[in-house]
Amino acid sequence: MLEISNLVKRYGQNEPVLKGLDLRVEGSSVVSIVGASGAGKSTLLRCINRLVEPTSGSIKLNGHELVNLRGSELRHSRRRIGMVFQGFNLIDRLTVMENVLSGRLGYVSFFQALTRRFPQSDIDRAFSLMERVGIAHYADKRADQLSGGERQRVAVVRALMQEPEILLADEPTASLDPKTSQQIMSLLQSLASEMSLPVLINIHNVTQARMYTDRIVGMRHGQMIFDGEPKDFNQDALDAIYGGIESPDDDGSVPEQSAPPAPEATA
Amino acid sequence: MKPDRTALGAPSGRVWKKPPFITNPWVRYGLLAITLVYLFWAFSTLPFDWQRISEGLPRAAKIFGGAFPPSFERAGLLWTGFKESFQIAFLATTLGVLLSVPIAVMAARNVAPLPVYLLGRTIIIVSRSFHPVIVAILFVAAVGFGPVAGILTLILYSIGFVAKLLAEEIEEIDWGQVEAMRSVGAGYMKILVYGVFPQIMPRQIGLSMYQLDSNLRASAVVGIVGAGGIGGTLMNAFGRYDYDFAFAILLMIIAIILVSEGLSGWVRKKVW
Repeated sequence: MLEISNLVKRYGQNEPVLKGLDLRVEGSSVVSIVGASGAGKSTLLRCINRLVEPTSGSIKLNGHELVNLRGSELRHSRRRIGMVFQGFNLIDRLTVMENVLSGRLGYVSFFQALTRRFPQSDIDRAFSLMERVGIAHYADKRADQLSGGERQRVAVVRALMQEPEILLADEPTASLDPKTSQQIMSLLQSLASEMSLPVLINIHNVTQARMYTDRIVGMRHGQMIFDGEPKDFNQDALDAIYGGIESPDDDGSVPEQSAPPAPEATA
Repeated sequence: MKPDRTALGAPSGRVWKKPPFITNPWVRYGLLAITLVYLFWAFSTLPFDWQRISEGLPRAAKIFGGAFPPSFERAGLLWTGFKESFQIAFLATTLGVLLSVPIAVMAARNVAPLPVYLLGRTIIIVSRSFHPVIVAILFVAAVGFGPVAGILTLILYSIGFVAKLLAEEIEEIDWGQVEAMRSVGAGYMKILVYGVFPQIMPRQIGLSMYQLDSNLRASAVVGIVGAGGIGGTLMNAFGRYDYDFAFAILLMIIAIILVSEGLSGWVRKKVW
């Protein structure tokens, strides 16, 4: 269970990006966080694994306080938090297998990491997860030779290698074409239920948020202004989140239908 | 496409000129004038002895005449000199590049804390501030004639070059990969090995090859001041007016540089 209370993040003396945010995520639910660019979605996720230092407040993962951890304690809690990024952030020049095994870096010794002598159990886990998402045949390929969707699968497997207690996804489909991004969203959805893993997804595509997640959290100017099930996420909520700002990239006004396949975006 | 005919048809009389590089006309023309005056002054005050120059030209012609045809008679000496030069260059490159990696990490602002960064930058600046010949003179004085002085000189020379460029490369890496490694709970050293080094690896190999190239060249020069290698052989040949042998040595050096340049280019292309 993730419990965030009164979370504040302020960069320098500017107006806070997060203004006393509260959020509880229980069980294995898939939660999407929507909001315009600059609403603080990314900062919120990065506060959880402390890539960004929160200014004040509390973040508890299964009872462990994450704020104010330092050194090896911080690294040990990061092991339990998987993260998937918009730009995949794979180590381009290493093989897919090395990328996947890098998810175990928090568990193995420096010598093991340097010489790539990972324990057999890690290698078994790597192969079975890669088979699960359909990339096992790429094990010895360099990561930068894969397509966008395949690379994001590698990134998902890397995060799952950590044996995480929660998965964070920071706009995991924003760099992908519409079809691939649906595949990744449905993969995240089914993995969450298979592994009974809570997943937090920052997402711009409101249609996909409705389709693939159990709960939608809407943010604006560092505050949560909507929290509910997809069926309650109506036009009013959408206007409250994006209103007064230019419309979001995707047409959120078509609630029941997924985005039509775009023939020109098959790269 | 339908161009706006009214706008295209009537010439508006507006002109455009590229804005000058220096806006202030006083500064612009002032700098030009100062440069010209200094150039004239510098030429007129340096002691050019035209008579000596005209006397020297036939002497130069004689030297070049004596150099033809190059003599490969003492190939054994040539080979010994080259072998020593190559040993110096290879050892210095290997050790220099190995030392450059930690110094480059120290001197990269994005992965080193400020005090370490300043220390790293200082090491690089110090090792870059003198030409290898000056360093070689110091080391020859310190450890005596011979290849050890050459090796020490070129190690310092390699650090100055490789560590500086490598540090700049580290400062430009894709930070997302580092963030990903932080997010899995990796510590500093593991982040370096996974998040940083793979990104700078092609550059690292390219630089090492280039540095071997450069050290071979420099080892010939530092040999002249007594730091071992083919430079010493060259100096001796000149000292004994064996211009044909000296020319053979120069040809040898050119051949070595050409081969190593081709080789390093090929390796760099393979690695990228």
